[in-house]
Amino acid sequence: MARKIENVVVLGANGAMGSGSGSVFAAAGIRTVFLARTRDKAEAGRARAEQMVKSTAISRFIEVGDYDALEAEVAKADLVFEAVAEDLAVKREVFARVDKARKPDAIVATVSSGLSIAAMCAGQSDSFQKHFLGIHFFNPPNVIVGCELIAHAGTDAGVVAFVRDLLAGPLGREVVETTDTPAFAGNRVGFKVLNEVAQLAEEHGVAFMDALIGPHTGRAMTPLVTVDFVGWDVHQAIVDNLFANTKDEAHAAFELPGYMKKLIAAGHLGNKTKAKGGFFRSEGKGKDAVRLVVDPKTLDYRPVTENVRALPPVVGQMKALIRVGRYQQAMDAMCDATGPEVDLMRKVVLGYVSYGLARVGEVVARPRDVDRIMGFGFNWAPPSVLADAIGARRLIGLLDRAKLLVPRVVVEAAEKNLNLFDEPEVDRGRFFVAA
Amino acid sequence: MTQPVHILGGFQTDFARNWTKEGKHIAAMIREAVEGALAATDVSPREIEVGHVGNFAAELYSMQGHLGAFLVDVDPAFSGLPTGRHEAACASGSIALLAASAEIEAGRYDCALVVGVEQMKTVSPAIGGDYLGTAAWYELEAKGVEFPFPKLFGKLGDEYDRRYGLSDKHLAHISAVNYANAKKNPKAQTRTWYMNEEHACSTSSYNAVIGGRIKVSDCSQVTDGAVAVVLASAKFAEAYAKRRGRRLETVPRIQGWGHATAPLTFDAKVAESKDQPYVLPHTRRAITDAYRRAGIADCWALDGIETHDCFTTSEYMAIDHFGLTNPGESWKAIEEGVIDFGGKLPINPSGGLIGAGHPVGATGVRQLLDASLQVTGKAGDYQVANARRFATLNIGGSGTTSVVFVVGN
Repeated sequence: MARKIENVVVLGANGAMGSGSGSVFAAAGIRTVFLARTRDKAEAGRARAEQMVKSTAISRFIEVGDYDALEAEVAKADLVFEAVAEDLAVKREVFARVDKARKPDAIVATVSSGLSIAAMCAGQSDSFQKHFLGIHFFNPPNVIVGCELIAHAGTDAGVVAFVRDLLAGPLGREVVETTDTPAFAGNRVGFKVLNEVAQLAEEHGVAFMDALIGPHTGRAMTPLVTVDFVGWDVHQAIVDNLFANTKDEAHAAFELPGYMKKLIAAGHLGNKTKAKGGFFRSEGKGKDAVRLVVDPKTLDYRPVTENVRALPPVVGQMKALIRVGRYQQAMDAMCDATGPEVDLMRKVVLGYVSYGLARVGEVVARPRDVDRIMGFGFNWAPPSVLADAIGARRLIGLLDRAKLLVPRVVVEAAEKNLNLFDEPEVDRGRFFVAA
Repeated sequence: MTQPVHILGGFQTDFARNWTKEGKHIAAMIREAVEGALAATDVSPREIEVGHVGNFAAELYSMQGHLGAFLVDVDPAFSGLPTGRHEAACASGSIALLAASAEIEAGRYDCALVVGVEQMKTVSPAIGGDYLGTAAWYELEAKGVEFPFPKLFGKLGDEYDRRYGLSDKHLAHISAVNYANAKKNPKAQTRTWYMNEEHACSTSSYNAVIGGRIKVSDCSQVTDGAVAVVLASAKFAEAYAKRRGRRLETVPRIQGWGHATAPLTFDAKVAESKDQPYVLPHTRRAITDAYRRAGIADCWALDGIETHDCFTTSEYMAIDHFGLTNPGESWKAIEEGVIDFGGKLPINPSGGLIGAGHPVGATGVRQLLDASLQVTGKAGDYQVANARRFATLNIGGSGTTSVVFVVGN
């Protein structure tokens, strides 16, 4: 298949994902047409792309238009990239127009991560369905290079292979192929952890849980700060989708806590609603700024400095060890410490390792895929990095004690005495953070 | 050279990392580099007999001196190891390599660990720029000057312009090539950054002028990084190779070296060289000394060069100083594509300082490691085809200390 991508059309190019995705193609020197409901919106998308790559030179590869130009531009396109609203009916209508206008071998990709790839293309022509797949860029794509590639049962294998090479080569992505399952790999594993911490915050406190599952457990941004950053509306859409459409060993972890439902109903969406906030909010300016945290029981916001619950000593020990690069010893400390609060920390952290690696076979083909999407997409310590640091045999014992599922791949690693992490070019150390 | 010095291998940290954001002390950087090098070479800590650290200014950036002692901290087997730290501004890494290789040549030790390290993102760019000014004659050239080094290397460009004429579009090509090469280097600082020749030629809020002809795109960027390599005598390297079912010839060695220091201030340098063909004659001599010691006639015996492009002007200078062209004609090699990745003599296939990043004390060791990866076919996506011999040029200050290595099989 001597396929060339010389013309790309982005539909919904004004949004964050639309303009970001468009910038990935344009940055590779491909003529990219940004279309949106109005020309002004598309123009805003182009400006956003310039800002994202910090260069005006990218605009040489970007043209803008509204949806009146859809048929004419799609007729020339080698790849149509859909980033319109997360609404099946809206997408289906757009796809019907694309189906009529596209070249017979043009690829159609969706950036959606909340809907089934198969469901989105159902009802379109055979040719459309064969050439349809999901390209789930992570935001912002100029910094986050992780990217999920999702075929449905009817996608042509040659098209998948071509897109894989395109993403990994000129588009500079770290590609992870997943099955067409709810939320694919990254969001499924990531939001399991995020929502579990939100659930536990009801009993143990927001600030305490956020600090307990903090950077020393393998993430630069703490869990509840992450939910505020992502947006509570987005968080809700993802966990509701997973709760309704999956039924695995962690199903209960996807139930949105009642206190979050109430706050969302009252207009609290995290950082995008600055005045109301989410788990945290800031009041006042400059030196007088006070950081507040919500009490899930009363829904009141109190200064974070009030009623601070002490973290178990092992957290400080882990931070001190990570600071000087003694990551193995930090993990040893986490495994050896005792007490209910340490059990709680281990439940969530080992729960992440267990849940992530247990998706092998169902959502992804190899541990490496889960590792790559969590590392390159979420910037979290990949499950295998933690598993190797703990040691497979010790991990099995700890999982059993915590009544967590022991993934098959961990059993195999223990039997063969092998490491799981398989990314020689990645510095493991960067995932252990001592903030 | 009295005794050959072999390079067993090493490890480089990802230069895109911000170790301050990770909450780390410089000790973590040294530890990761050393652990990585020992793993990569499969050398046991017990086999290391001496350690040398190259670092420019940890006392300023990290409030920490005595870095050799941090090697001892990495493994109980290092307790008692003889160590030291070496400094020559941005050539600190290469000075540490020279010290270690001299000891091996002298027969004092058979196996040495060399670490180049710099942690720079601990302070704001303005304060960091002031610290970097101590690589110049601080009172005369840097005190009270915002970002003194871009301006000094702008003066290098001005000197070329005055003597021979210099077109900024040739400098932009150097930047574009190094950024493009960095995209293939999984440890390069700029591998996700947007750059092309059009951007490098433009001036805007996104590509601000720092001073004179130097824009952001002409500059290498401050970053954190640590690189460790293991050097060995022929005796050690032979046993090492044999244990692994390899021949000694497959273990690269330092075939030649050169080392010179020019007057510290930039003005004194150009005053001294005003009637000479090369703008930086001491850098030229370090290069020809390395060629002579390696037994090669000129640059055409090389398959690639990792040179010190702290700014595009310093690579421009390296092109004629290595002898790719006559003095003042570096533009010919640029226009003919000689220095491009697929060119006759690729320069900075790793991305160089502009593309890979410039953690000051680490750069010289990074260059040697990259050269050794190239000549053993282990440079992955940025491998220069059939590379057998590479040269490195590491410069401290405004062309002040120059160290050159020729590496080959």
